[in-house]
Amino acid sequence: MATVAFEQATRVYPKSDRAAVDRLDLDVHDGELLVLVGPSGCGKTTSLRMLAGLEHVDDGAIRIDGKDVVDLAPRDRDIAMVFQNYALYPHMNVAQNMGFALRMAGVAKGDIATRVRAAAKILDIEEYLERKPRQLSGGQRQRVAMGRAIVRQPRVFLMDEPLSNLDAKLRVATRAEIASLQRSLGVTTLYVTHDQVEAMTMGDRVAVMRDGVLQQCDTPRTLYADPVNAFVAGFIGSPPMNLVDGIAEAGGVRLGSTLVAAPSVPARPGEAVTVGIRPESLSLAAAGDGIPATVSIVEELGAEAFVYAQLVGADGPVAEGANVKGNVIVRGEPSAAPRNGELVHLLVKEGSTLFFDAASGARLRG
Amino acid sequence: MTLPSATAVPGGRASSRRGSRAAGRERPAGSSATAGYFFVALYVGLLGLLGVAPVVYAIYLALSNSGGFGSSFVDAFKDYRFVPAFEHILAFMLIWLISQTILVVGLTLMLHTLAQRVGAVFRFLFYIPGALAGAASVVVWLFMLDPTASPFAFVLHWLGYAQFNNAIAPGNLSTIFAIMAFWTGAGGWIVVMYGALNNIPHELLESAQIDGANAFKTAFFIKLPLIRKWIVYMLVLSFAGGTQLFVEPTVLGSAALGVGVSKYWSPNQLAWFVASQYDNFAEAAALSVVLLVLGLFVAAVLVWRGRLFEAE
Amino acid sequence: MAFPRRHALQLVGIAVLLLFTAFFFVPIVWLFLAPTKTDGQLLTQSPFAFGSFHTLGQTFHRIVTYGGHSMLIWLKNSAIYSVGGTALAVLAAIPAGYGLALTHFIGRKALLSITLVVMIMPATALVLPLFLEINKLGLYGTIWSLILPFGFFPFGVYLTYIYFSSTIPKDLLAAARIDGASEWSVFRFIALPLARPIVSLVGFFAFVASWNNFFLPFVMTYDNSQYPVQIGLQQLIGSTASFNPTNFTAGSSIVVLHRPDLAMAVIIAIAPVLIVFLFAQRALVSGMLAGATKE
Repeated sequence: MATVAFEQATRVYPKSDRAAVDRLDLDVHDGELLVLVGPSGCGKTTSLRMLAGLEHVDDGAIRIDGKDVVDLAPRDRDIAMVFQNYALYPHMNVAQNMGFALRMAGVAKGDIATRVRAAAKILDIEEYLERKPRQLSGGQRQRVAMGRAIVRQPRVFLMDEPLSNLDAKLRVATRAEIASLQRSLGVTTLYVTHDQVEAMTMGDRVAVMRDGVLQQCDTPRTLYADPVNAFVAGFIGSPPMNLVDGIAEAGGVRLGSTLVAAPSVPARPGEAVTVGIRPESLSLAAAGDGIPATVSIVEELGAEAFVYAQLVGADGPVAEGANVKGNVIVRGEPSAAPRNGELVHLLVKEGSTLFFDAASGARLRG
Repeated sequence: MTLPSATAVPGGRASSRRGSRAAGRERPAGSSATAGYFFVALYVGLLGLLGVAPVVYAIYLALSNSGGFGSSFVDAFKDYRFVPAFEHILAFMLIWLISQTILVVGLTLMLHTLAQRVGAVFRFLFYIPGALAGAASVVVWLFMLDPTASPFAFVLHWLGYAQFNNAIAPGNLSTIFAIMAFWTGAGGWIVVMYGALNNIPHELLESAQIDGANAFKTAFFIKLPLIRKWIVYMLVLSFAGGTQLFVEPTVLGSAALGVGVSKYWSPNQLAWFVASQYDNFAEAAALSVVLLVLGLFVAAVLVWRGRLFEAE
Repeated sequence: MAFPRRHALQLVGIAVLLLFTAFFFVPIVWLFLAPTKTDGQLLTQSPFAFGSFHTLGQTFHRIVTYGGHSMLIWLKNSAIYSVGGTALAVLAAIPAGYGLALTHFIGRKALLSITLVVMIMPATALVLPLFLEINKLGLYGTIWSLILPFGFFPFGVYLTYIYFSSTIPKDLLAAARIDGASEWSVFRFIALPLARPIVSLVGFFAFVASWNNFFLPFVMTYDNSQYPVQIGLQQLIGSTASFNPTNFTAGSSIVVLHRPDLAMAVIIAIAPVLIVFLFAQRALVSGMLAGATKE
């Protein structure tokens, strides 16, 4: 088994003045499934490809089991990768696809067949071994790509958005399968996705990246409860955390026309702060209580309902770049869902608000 | 490109290492530069030996004439056969390029209004003569120009040509070569133009119809501008090829010993003539350099200005 | 009012198309009918009349045996030059196109540009410089004076380049590299098996271009035993009575050929290329279109 460490790893594309991956420091523990997540262009795939040896490393080091692999060719790194489009060899059948790496390593034919069959059994694709990739469905191809990775018994698995080409239902099922397979094999895995739900459900730990810079790397629970900045707070969670700009005052923060009471606001009175409130920390209250807001639309999902509302009087002067319009989402009971256009009052669950610097987005701690 | 220091510096943070790895930047997708050289090696060898070296050698021969630097060019330009040869191909190209452009574009637009399947039959029939490039097509046209046997005899008689020699009189040669070139080449261009027309989205033509354009106006205002690039491409390429005319006058010449076709009707023939008859390699080299520069110029313009080719 | 006018225009259009169909196709039809007739019948019968199979057989026999089976020698030469040149062209073009499309090395873009320029430049422009060079190298009169230039086929490199860069995703090669394949193995086990369509396409084009080439063998060969069939055709014109009557003064020992014999020779000479055209029309057309960009 293996550990992976990025140490100040940097990639600057030629003719670009900004680093695609900027001094990345990241440790992947032995046997861990670590998910790299972020919006497109954040550098997560580049980081993965740097580890694979498919992307040049301009500066810093990448270590597998403590050894710097930066100058090794991909084939000398003992890694396996699942590509977004699977990259199955179209002219080989499933067994040949899965056995190709072993063939390249000079493994005896009989051994290849045994190991391919064993891997196929785990993934339940034994009956397709003779088929060509084009004769397979998307889900089957995905399994073959997984099979090609596990048959090698590599030190590290790299997965680049392996579920993004599946339909929504299959994606949810496969996501759990991959996670449990990874746990049973115990192979150190770096997994890239843009989907925070995938990241949260699969990862032992999740690393959030933005513009080539690592924002935070921690367990899903910690990321959700204790984000280091407004970006992580807004990126993790579905629906995302409400981020509303307000002005700090003695005893609370003024959001639009209303003063929301908070015992300790980590900012001086008069300063602009961004207030973060999870949708489940808001609830509907009787008139006269809480923050008045106008309902713009209600999404009913059966078990729960999301109320999209706009804080009344929230159009006043606020810090730049924040949620100027004061739009918030409330997670609530479908039975109590208000109608569109209705005026409601929102109550904030005590002690659930987070505060961020309105300019930098950095978390302000009380 | 691998420096030992890359691993010798433990946990190196130093930006000084940036330099050590910058050399490997041209290495995306994990491939190595040496492999690339290996794959193109044979082709590069052939390119050097058969593409670049002959040009360099021809220039060298043309310039290193015993008469002094550049004197072989002067010899070539002063040669009494030089001007007529270029006049011949100029006349040939005027006739050929104008008629080919009009006819290929016209015929393609016409074919494009027909049903797909009918159009395909016509295109195939037009395209078949392309298989007869080279000497074969000239022989076929010898027959066609022979008033005693040609299926087009009535046309020849109508033009007043009773005998083969009348038909291939010197004054007719430019036209005859233009007909031959058109006969073998037009079908291929029609296929290309048709392909370009087929690339026009169907909705665009339908929208023109709804906007009130008839078939003529659609062809003129929508289709023609959209394939203009290809027309230019055809013109330029034909121009470059036309300057090199050799097969047609040579083969026709062997059918008419003592009659009209001289052995130096076209510039390429002239170059070959001075090389093979007088062993004047310097003048031959000078002539071929002139022709080469014409071809190179046209090709370079197309590649760097035309944006027709996927050179990334 | 509009309808009659439209019909009239359509009729004119159809008439023009038929006129050009005649222009393009009548010579071919005539060519294939001529050997079934004697030279005399050619003058007296309708151009589109069929003679007889017996005459066809006689014509065929006469042209094949003419000049000590010269036709067969020329065909054999054409085959050697074209097959040799095509083999070399494919051998050089496929790895080169792959290298240009899917590997990276310094000078790659320059090589691509030079390839494009040489490809667009008329091949005939290089014939005389090649002749001068081949002379200097002492290869004049050898089969290499033709096979080597035929094997230099930039168009094939460009076609292969387009094929590899548009049909093979880079991740496929990356997957193979991660699977432990060396650069050679990536080419051998992944790229080459996927290149089968382009191998035949480049082969077709190289073969047709070599077989039909006239100018290059015209300057590079000097003896009947070396001529390819294109040069042979030109020789035959000299022996055809109606085109060169002065060659056949009374008592001349030269065997006289007639127009049907020459037509038969043309058919034999173009047969290989015609077969390629008929069977590979679709492939050839796609190649011609691939020669330039999508709109």
